[in-house]
Amino acid sequence: MTKSIDTSIYAAVSEAIRAEAQRILSDGTVTAIVGYAAARRKGSAQPIVISSADDAAKLIFTPACVNNLAVYLTKAKKEIPKKGKVGIVVKGCDLKALSGLMGESQLKREDLYLIGVPCAGVLASTVQPATELTSDSIAPKCTECDAQLPGGCDFVPPQAPLTPGQTRKYAAEIARLEALTPAERWAYWKEQFSKCIKCYACRQVCPFCFCEQCLCDRNKPQMVDTTPRPAGNTAWHIVRAMHLAGRCAGCAECERVCPMDIPLNLLNRKMAKELKELYDYEAGFEVNDKGPLNSYTEKDDQSFIK
Amino acid sequence: MHPEKQKHTFEPKIIAFVCTWCTYAGADLAGTSRMQYPPNVRVLKFPCTGRIDPVFILKAFQQGADGVLVSGCHPGDCHYIAGNFHARRRFAVFRKLLEFVGVDLNRLQFSWVSAAEGGKWVEVVTDLTEKVRAMGPMTEFRELALEEQWSGAINTPELEEAYNQI
Repeated sequence: MTKSIDTSIYAAVSEAIRAEAQRILSDGTVTAIVGYAAARRKGSAQPIVISSADDAAKLIFTPACVNNLAVYLTKAKKEIPKKGKVGIVVKGCDLKALSGLMGESQLKREDLYLIGVPCAGVLASTVQPATELTSDSIAPKCTECDAQLPGGCDFVPPQAPLTPGQTRKYAAEIARLEALTPAERWAYWKEQFSKCIKCYACRQVCPFCFCEQCLCDRNKPQMVDTTPRPAGNTAWHIVRAMHLAGRCAGCAECERVCPMDIPLNLLNRKMAKELKELYDYEAGFEVNDKGPLNSYTEKDDQSFIK
Repeated sequence: MHPEKQKHTFEPKIIAFVCTWCTYAGADLAGTSRMQYPPNVRVLKFPCTGRIDPVFILKAFQQGADGVLVSGCHPGDCHYIAGNFHARRRFAVFRKLLEFVGVDLNRLQFSWVSAAEGGKWVEVVTDLTEKVRAMGPMTEFRELALEEQWSGAINTPELEEAYNQI
């Protein structure tokens, strides 16, 4: 059943973001702000970096503001010069990514001015940007969101999003796959991975894929075949999921940008689920110096070890 | 002197990633004590289980291993203090990932074998070899490597026709 989702607060939120951006740019608190602006197609939005108070009026927040802007602040995106404090418009999921980056010493909190967004959800990648936000057109990640109100920001508009209970789309899919036999799961992933064209869009868009040289680009030793063929594709996606385990903030950007519609975030969500069960770890707003896979306790489960 | 060797139709390839301080010494002890264990295992020595990247396991399967064994020092005995504690978490998560992708976890064994446990090494290697022998060869990754198909199956008549005209 399709339920419409109340996005009436987004207009007031946009207003508040503009007013705050105007204020912090003109009084010199920040030198630039990374936010969303209207794009050319009707209803669509695109990331924008503004550095003058006159441009503050360009900022918007709509259900089409899908991007995770945290990626522009990582060292992988060297073309964005960082001079002084940078303002950034963040949804709850984006803030989790920023917290993760701070924990990995990629960013400093004092270099950032966080403009939090009370978010009722954004559109899925498969629908047109002008679509109304409903329980069908909403991004799957938003059905599992526990972070509609970002915490610990410098500024958050006062509006509160109404969040109706929704079917957790990823959880349902993970449960479906877990119930299959290994052979059936292998067949499922083989089909999914064989679609991959190795464009590495998932890597480019991921805030946590900031390595100077990716393991998968190295050829001595070559751990992962670089050609877009089934063997290399499978290896790449397993390696990607493993390298993001315990770090992924669940922004699902990998899945959004995938041109072949591979359900990439399923793997990351499954890893997050296992880490929650095994080590009671969840990506959140707090900054942790150590993730679950670079810390340990002496009492960790070892029932699988002989 | 040696018991009559049993003939098998399938000899599995087992790759063992072992730590140099405990399991490698344990395997050495098994050898010097003249204990018999299946010659199917290929031992690869690492400084520590913490050095064993999950991608090595993946690579082993891709290169034709039928089973993989990862073995190191017992918790608390690590030569580098905490290498095996980190490895324990990493492998706990990695095996869940492999399971989710559809790899049969019976082919992947983790164990702690100390330098004094030659007998345990024999037992672990024999168990894994016999288990994998009963399961037959690991075909999944090998089949993937032989496949040429890319960007999904040719699943429409139009594509099929275009493909046949090439």
